[in-house]
Amino acid sequence: MNMSAQAAPSVAISVRDLHKSFGPVEVLKGISIDAHEGEVISILGSSGSGKSTLLRCINMLEVPDSGSIAVAGETIRLKAAGCGKSRPADQRQVDRIRSELGMVFQSFNLWSHKTVLENVIEAPVHVLKRPRREAIEEAEALLAKVGIADKRNHYPAHLSGGQQQRAAIARALAMRPKAMLFDEPTSALDPELVGEVLRVMRGLAEEGRTMLVVTHEMGFARDVSSRVVFLHRGAIEEEGAPDDVFTSSKSERFRQFISN
Amino acid sequence: MSNPGFLDIISFGPDGWGHALAAGAWMTILIALAGFAIGSVIGTLGAWAKISGGRFLRMFADAYTTILRGIPDLLVIYLFYFGGSAVVTAVGQFFGAEGFVSFPGFLAGTLAVGVTSGAQQTEVFRGAFRAVHPGELEAATACGMGRVLKFRRITAPLTLRHALPGLGNVWQVVLKESALVSVTGVVELLRQAQIGAGSTSLPFDFYFIAAMIYLAISTVSGACLNASERWFSRGVRRG
Amino acid sequence: MDIAFAAETLVSLLSALPLTLELAITAIAFGAVLALALALARLSGILALDWFARLYVFVFRGTPLLVQIFLIYYGLSQFGAVRHSIFWPVLREPYWCAVLALMLNTAAYASEIIRGGLLSVPHGQVEAARACGMPRFMIFRRIVMPLAIRQALPGYGNEMISMVKATSLASIITLMEITGVAAKIISETYRVIEVFVVAGAIYLAINFLLTRLIAFVEYQLSPHQRQLLPMTGRLKGESH
Repeated sequence: MNMSAQAAPSVAISVRDLHKSFGPVEVLKGISIDAHEGEVISILGSSGSGKSTLLRCINMLEVPDSGSIAVAGETIRLKAAGCGKSRPADQRQVDRIRSELGMVFQSFNLWSHKTVLENVIEAPVHVLKRPRREAIEEAEALLAKVGIADKRNHYPAHLSGGQQQRAAIARALAMRPKAMLFDEPTSALDPELVGEVLRVMRGLAEEGRTMLVVTHEMGFARDVSSRVVFLHRGAIEEEGAPDDVFTSSKSERFRQFISN
Repeated sequence: MSNPGFLDIISFGPDGWGHALAAGAWMTILIALAGFAIGSVIGTLGAWAKISGGRFLRMFADAYTTILRGIPDLLVIYLFYFGGSAVVTAVGQFFGAEGFVSFPGFLAGTLAVGVTSGAQQTEVFRGAFRAVHPGELEAATACGMGRVLKFRRITAPLTLRHALPGLGNVWQVVLKESALVSVTGVVELLRQAQIGAGSTSLPFDFYFIAAMIYLAISTVSGACLNASERWFSRGVRRG
Repeated sequence: MDIAFAAETLVSLLSALPLTLELAITAIAFGAVLALALALARLSGILALDWFARLYVFVFRGTPLLVQIFLIYYGLSQFGAVRHSIFWPVLREPYWCAVLALMLNTAAYASEIIRGGLLSVPHGQVEAARACGMPRFMIFRRIVMPLAIRQALPGYGNEMISMVKATSLASIITLMEITGVAAKIISETYRVIEVFVVAGAIYLAINFLLTRLIAFVEYQLSPHQRQLLPMTGRLKGESH
């Protein structure tokens, strides 16, 4: 982790002055974050703080009203759509950039009509046009890595929540993503299943993957992430290395948040 | 040939077809109402047979609904029309009459509509009874209600409440099915439109007007059914 | 019941079976395409398309099929423009008028069934596909359609059975399909019961087979909803 300070690796995801409103509610009020390669950023905040919206703006599942997002140095082109809104100028660019980011959802969102293995190879074969055989080999390795190789021919409905989420992580990894986005990956799980998913995520962090994790797991934020960002009402309230912010934050709100 | 204009057709004046079409529409409503009523009686009996009948009754009711769901309504209308005529003719010959005696189309039509809609209503009532919470029926028994009292005061109203949406659908089907009764020569709305079309060479105008009248009847009756559904479902929480 | 006469009737009615099947299959196939278009129009979010589809469904579901058949077969010939158009050779034929009316009619009912299927697709699964960078059409083809078809199939099966039954109305505009032939035999012989039983049995057989076929397809399409079975070597047999 402290290597990153010396070598100054390149920026994987750059978010600049992001604004987003839903109707009259301003959810993001000018957020800027740089995620360097190999960094694991935990995004914390109470519900309604805008943390999920921030993550979903990065791969354009929500289109920001203004501001800019760049992935691996490439800025997503937006154009004005009236009423202070924007929309992507080039949908193909958005689709390509999405394929370079792996997203893991709170509710897994595995495709229910496909087996675990079919879920993992779907996008590599059809979006990235990789040879099927190669995709299957890689998928099997990934499923072994997340510990559900034996479930490869099962349908999502037949798996536990923890297994489904690990399958979803394998699906995201199969895109060979430049960075991974986790949207509260353990919030929909029964408490006893949280551990197995966090273990997989910890392994990915140790591999040096770039990860943006919206989470409520304080243990993960403190022990695994290289940086913590605390959002409050659509703005960054506190930001820093976990060792610093968890022990001596100047923000009263953040201290209150972590004490709960 | 003098062709009346569109407005002449719908007018109620001496040359207009307004009265004739209105009478046809009224006949359509009568056929549908009578057919639906017959179907309700059959449906109640059918549902009862399926729910609490013995093995034989259940099999009979199952065969009835399966067959009626699988064969065309038109075929059933022919069965009652020609079959009824055959019976009437045979009876007539027995009493010394000669030749073919035609069975009244209205009777054949409403019976046919009743029998087909009865199959649908059997399923509607059965499903509705299934949806009634068994605890509510048990509570009635626990109050000491007799079988008839329990059916009249508790079972029937609760079942009817669940059955109303399904009955509304059956009504719409019956209304449209009544148009088939025109093949028996009963002068209902469609038959009247045919007569008009034949005597003016304006088939499109007449069938179009008939279609609009059907649409009006189904819309108005649908709205009434919705209103009654709301009235009967008071106390039921909306999902 | 006269067995010899019934057998004779069966032979006559079976010769009319191809026409019944042809009417049903053509109408269902064309109707499905139109129904999909109508369902997409309803969900397009474009107000004009949405309202057009609503009006279409309202009119075709609110009027009897027989009136629609008469409007097309007898009604359209009222207009010289139709009689002199290139469509007249088609619209003059009772067969094509019946197919057209059945198709337009089933499309109205089927579009609502398809719309329900499309609406039932969980939003999260669509979002996951977007997050993978799938283009819109690929998401529709590979994620939305398979899930929607599975969901809509039982309702669509009932609609297909309705269509098989509805082909009988073609007999009223002179087509000699099963009901047409049956009515002719009845009016010639006055032997109602035999003809009714034989004709009814043929329709029941068609609809029984159709029900089995739909149940089979439903079973094939829903491995994910079945109980867990031991699966081995499934990948080799996979088709995409």
